[in-house]
Amino acid sequence: MFFRLLPVAVMTALPLLAGADTQPELNVYTHPSFAAEWGPGPAVKEAFEAHCECTLNYTVLDSGGAILQRLRLEGESTPADVVLGLDTGTMASARQIGLLDHHERKLDDLALPIKWKDDTFVPYDWGYFAFVYDTERLPEPPRSLEALIAAPDDLKIILQDPRTSTPGLGFLLWMHSVYGEQAPDKWQQLSGKILATTQSWSDGYFSLFMNGEAPMILSYSTSPAYHMAVDKTDRYQAARFEEGHYLQVEVAALVKTSDNKPLARSFLDFMLTRDFQRHIPLKNVMYPAIDLGSEMPEVFDRLIEPSQALYLDPADVSGIRRRLVNDWLDALTR
Amino acid sequence: MANEVQAPPFSHPRWQLWPGLVIGSGLLLLAGLGLGSLLQASGASDAGRLLAGSYFQNVIRFTLWQAFLSVILSLGIALPVAFALNRFRAFPGRALVLRLLELSLVLPTIVAVSGLIAVFGRQGWFTALLDAGLPGHGWNLYGLNGILLAHVFFNAPLAARILLQALETVPAPRLRVASQLGLHGWWLWRAVHWPALKPVLPGLAALVFTLCFTSFAIIMTLGGGPRTTTLEVAIYQALRFEFDFTQAALFALCQLAICGSLWFLVFRKRLDTAFMPNRQLSQPASLVRGKWFGVACGLVLAAFIVFLMTPLVAIAVRGLPALIPMNEPIALYHQLLPATARSLLIAVPAGVGAVAVALLTLAAANRASGRWLAVIPAMTGYLPLIVPPLVLGTGLFIFLKPQLGNPMQGWSLVALINGLMAVPFTLQVLRGPVSSLDSASKNQADQLGVLGWYRWRWLYWPILRRPIALALAYGIALSLGDFGVIALFGSPGQPTLPVLLYQQLGSYRMTEAAGTGLWLLLVLISIFASLSGVSSPSSGKGSGAIKPVPEPDHA
Repeated sequence: MFFRLLPVAVMTALPLLAGADTQPELNVYTHPSFAAEWGPGPAVKEAFEAHCECTLNYTVLDSGGAILQRLRLEGESTPADVVLGLDTGTMASARQIGLLDHHERKLDDLALPIKWKDDTFVPYDWGYFAFVYDTERLPEPPRSLEALIAAPDDLKIILQDPRTSTPGLGFLLWMHSVYGEQAPDKWQQLSGKILATTQSWSDGYFSLFMNGEAPMILSYSTSPAYHMAVDKTDRYQAARFEEGHYLQVEVAALVKTSDNKPLARSFLDFMLTRDFQRHIPLKNVMYPAIDLGSEMPEVFDRLIEPSQALYLDPADVSGIRRRLVNDWLDALTR
Repeated sequence: MANEVQAPPFSHPRWQLWPGLVIGSGLLLLAGLGLGSLLQASGASDAGRLLAGSYFQNVIRFTLWQAFLSVILSLGIALPVAFALNRFRAFPGRALVLRLLELSLVLPTIVAVSGLIAVFGRQGWFTALLDAGLPGHGWNLYGLNGILLAHVFFNAPLAARILLQALETVPAPRLRVASQLGLHGWWLWRAVHWPALKPVLPGLAALVFTLCFTSFAIIMTLGGGPRTTTLEVAIYQALRFEFDFTQAALFALCQLAICGSLWFLVFRKRLDTAFMPNRQLSQPASLVRGKWFGVACGLVLAAFIVFLMTPLVAIAVRGLPALIPMNEPIALYHQLLPATARSLLIAVPAGVGAVAVALLTLAAANRASGRWLAVIPAMTGYLPLIVPPLVLGTGLFIFLKPQLGNPMQGWSLVALINGLMAVPFTLQVLRGPVSSLDSASKNQADQLGVLGWYRWRWLYWPILRRPIALALAYGIALSLGDFGVIALFGSPGQPTLPVLLYQQLGSYRMTEAAGTGLWLLLVLISIFASLSGVSSPSSGKGSGAIKPVPEPDHA
């Protein structure tokens, strides 16, 4: 019996035996939806490797927050050359780690709703937070944030927790941008309509929204594009709110300790070419960071167009985030 | 002729004591290092202010309250179910019911929660029935209701299984006497059942309490809002979103202190709580009971089976369209099969490791003498439950940082941590059978010189075969469904099953995610089914050998 444990010991040690690649490589830390088989990751890898004479490796961590934590834990010894998948909510924390380098790119061709001036982070896609609703169960959605807050309590919505989720934090900032100091009172008025505040967007979308538990969920204005283009259904649409919508920009950055900075910088350049960006609209379900012209899928013409992009500078956000979260907690637990 | 007889391999007592002690101390060291490196990475802190804050106090209060209620409800439901299963010992499908009881604990949370919502949610089957039969009922899943419901779903089956083992240990002669004396009601409970349940209950309650205390995704999805924050949520928030390692370490320390002192209370009375004392030397006898008791038992059992089955059916209904697709059948399996292989590559070593650690720990616990020496193997069984895996993983990562070369080492670490997390459960399954060898057999073996390896092979292995298979199934299944640890270390673009599920969710592939959820459920079922099919040694060979001890019924 004891010797029967031997193959088991071998199996246990198997992962250790898999050797590392010896080719010149570019290590990119990213999140699951980018690197997934059906996400932009594989196509981007193929296109970049076609002329870089290198190997592009993804290390997949479960969120932008996890990427940051990994960087922090690894410190100067990190094997990462590029981090891809941070966003405007995590930029400030990322900068504070002190492991990211200037991109030294001009960024002239960007097509963002705001002017981008950051010297560290290069945007690769963007989107608006919005409430996605089920047209079969809610034919007349609220037309403004105010109308949502004033709606009767039998309209149920699903939110995400700003302490653990990016859209959750986005909505907190959205409420803050629109209402400022009034936001806690508005949160209280909203509280009767909140069916659930989930840990992550996935929990809410899969377990609750798709099970028909509530007709509205906090998501992205681009979510309907996926349902229309891939699921071939017009059933799920985003509600356009008069006050404007809060903007999220997803960014990548160069790691200071990278031993192959020219290659890493060429990847950042590549990121803003059509070979990269054409995969963004339907595979990442966000707006591309450059103008794709005729390559833009048609369904994107049918998405809502916010009257105004609400946006707070990441540096300002990091200063007020904890206070906003505490106000939110107070308002909802009072 | 040499007058020296060669000692059997591993016969020295130290072989029973030291491996378990080394593992136990290693685990303590890891937990300490994890917390220590978090504290060290963070520097100065304002611990006093943090702990005095109303946020923290509310979190603690709610965490304790929901865990307390969950324990009462889970045990309150598990008890009648265990009685019913004890009463009906031979109905067709009983083995299936036992498999069902095993399953709910190992289901990945997001899959189980989606099943629960499909049944008990606002648009659920149960709610629709309630609407039709009882308009204006006021049932609402979200809030404390949902949390308790989910905790009962996860924990009551486990509790019922453990209580059932305890009830089955009542010696047959005692049952016969009770039957002849016509004991029933309170007197039967007092004389027969309570003595069997008493040694099991404190440890079981502490186990369920700990599981509910550290519950996370369930609380957030079904809790309805920030009112229902638990300590584990606060740890996640501090670690992942605010990068406040001090706060994370402090919260983790509080969790350790609360759950640890609970375990201490349990252990002070009996250092080695026997969870599954299933020593059984004669064929079970049945009590002659009234008819109404049988009917009540049947109803309770049927209701509980329906309660466990319906969410699984909902998962199957939702997932089937993806697994049996009309247009491109190969594409999905193209992802599912390699992901399953990768998951098994992590889960099998983790499960085997968990079983090995449990056996060595039990050996050491039986050998260890002295107050402090005995504490170490006892700790091994519970520490992994109360140290948050994220903290353990982070600590390990910080500690091993310089040595980490390639991502595959990260995967080995994932297997290691998953294995450790499964130890408390494998230990529960194996503890009873290991101590079920009676002292007469042991004395005889001593006299005959059946020691070390031979003792293990010829005395323990025959009675442990099936419990080990069950423990292995738990170990493999628990780490197969785990997502938390692997997310910390990251994967080189090739997902395991739970990671694949989350990738699909993150990319709007809801139908495929439902399919993956069902697939995961099927893989878990087949693990339990195949390992519960391990035959007893004598029946396998058909030699008609006398079984030293009857097989435990549960294995």
